Amino acid sequence: MLKYWCMISIKNLKKRYDDGNFAIRGISADFDKRLTTVIGRNGAGKTTMMRILSTQLLQSSGTVEIDGLDNVKDAKEIRKRIVSIPQEASPIGYLTPMEHLKMYLCARGMSLKDAGIEASKALRELELWHARDTPSDMLSGGMKRKIFVAMALAANADTIFLDEPTTGLDPLSRIEVWSAIKRLRGNIVLTTHYMEEAAELSEAVVMVESGKIIATGTIKSLLSKFKGMARAEITSSSAKAKYTIGNTKIEYIKLKEAESYVKNGYAIKPITLDDLFIMRGVNIES
Amino acid sequence: MNLRFIGTFIWYYGIRSIKRGPSYIISSILYPLVFLFLITIFSAGRYLDYAVIGGFISIVAMNAIYSGSDMAFQRLQLRTQDLFVATSIGPADYMLGMGLSYLATSLPGILVYAIIGAYLGLFGLANALLFTLLLIAVLLGTMAISFTIFGFIKHVRNIWGIAGIASILLTVLPPTFYPYTLLPKALLYAFMLSPITEVSMLSQGVFGLAPAAYYAIPVLIIEIAIYSGIGIKLMRWREK
Repeated sequence: MLKYWCMISIKNLKKRYDDGNFAIRGISADFDKRLTTVIGRNGAGKTTMMRILSTQLLQSSGTVEIDGLDNVKDAKEIRKRIVSIPQEASPIGYLTPMEHLKMYLCARGMSLKDAGIEASKALRELELWHARDTPSDMLSGGMKRKIFVAMALAANADTIFLDEPTTGLDPLSRIEVWSAIKRLRGNIVLTTHYMEEAAELSEAVVMVESGKIIATGTIKSLLSKFKGMARAEITSSSAKAKYTIGNTKIEYIKLKEAESYVKNGYAIKPITLDDLFIMRGVNIES
Repeated sequence: MNLRFIGTFIWYYGIRSIKRGPSYIISSILYPLVFLFLITIFSAGRYLDYAVIGGFISIVAMNAIYSGSDMAFQRLQLRTQDLFVATSIGPADYMLGMGLSYLATSLPGILVYAIIGAYLGLFGLANALLFTLLLIAVLLGTMAISFTIFGFIKHVRNIWGIAGIASILLTVLPPTFYPYTLLPKALLYAFMLSPITEVSMLSQGVFGLAPAAYYAIPVLIIEIAIYSGIGIKLMRWREK
């Protein structure tokens, strides 16, 4: 029987690389929802955090517990319970989706016969069955990523870590992968730098910047503080605004003020998770 | 040790690739065959036996070197190593799976050499058995040294260059294709840093082409143990 919502508890996690740079500067969080998304820009520390959680990288200090198991002392036991799909992982060109899944499931300790059964189920469920014997070199980007999602599905793991599963994919392929992710069982921790991906998939969001958490909560709770507000945006070098990204000037306004901003050439946009980053000074050049 | 994973990996990654990537198989056979041709021409057939024995060793060693480079490619480019870290297999399973997959790709080449060797009447039961053991030793030793070398590589760009350099330095320079007795002692001892040298020396002894160099046996065993230990450590299975 699968255990849903197993708890991941992180306490004062730090990671300092040999060059002296901190990738993670003291993160504490509990992931207790079925699908938690870690959002952040490139270099924010998302992948480092995922690699520590999935026992691939050792932290410099702090503790991580997955369902009560310590990621350092109990790594072997944790590895039996998790699946980790690395960022930008590519399938091996001449191997087919079926072969990838069988090889992976055998690495997880399944017999070849069971691996074949589980692989077939997962490939059918994710609509990869017709391509099961096609060398992965000949598949589209979206289908290649779906091979990895199928591995996660077939493994029946308690916890699944997906590191930027849709980076580099075209919009249609991303929707295809999202729909595959929604079919995964177990609880999921996913990283992305696409805000709409977090909005589409997750129940809880952890926003990370420069190795620190800058906000956590459900998307609804994070956006609730912007109720009745909108983003006014203009591309101009002369206009003055509280937030500037390149040549784009941004103001956060009350909806009733929108009309006057439109008259001055501003575009009015709804508030999204992007705005949390902007309001916290992230992405702002000056 | 997860034998099921190793077996599946060899089947899919090694044996299936013979059919799907025949150009690699042909290139790995051609390389020692060209040496066989050149050595036979230049030595007027005098070193033909050395070239055949060396061809066997060279094919197995070269594929073991490429298994290390492929491991680096999978770690740095395809990221498949990260995928396997979070499973129940360990670095030794992965290393063996990878190395033995490449041995599988060596099989057509080994077959070609077996036919040539049989045609030349090189093999008896005893020397064939001993030589098989030595080929296993060269596989393990070269795999270990290759995984050690490629464990240091941090950029994909360097992988294939280093693989080329390593295969020339490790399979052509040592006395693989010529009698080890031709080498000055100091140079021979320097070459003995590579297990391929010891295997070549012992093989030449087994086939009566040169005096038996029994002192190479302990050196070979120690090197396999040391290089395997370093190779596994450098695989960055769980990075610090």
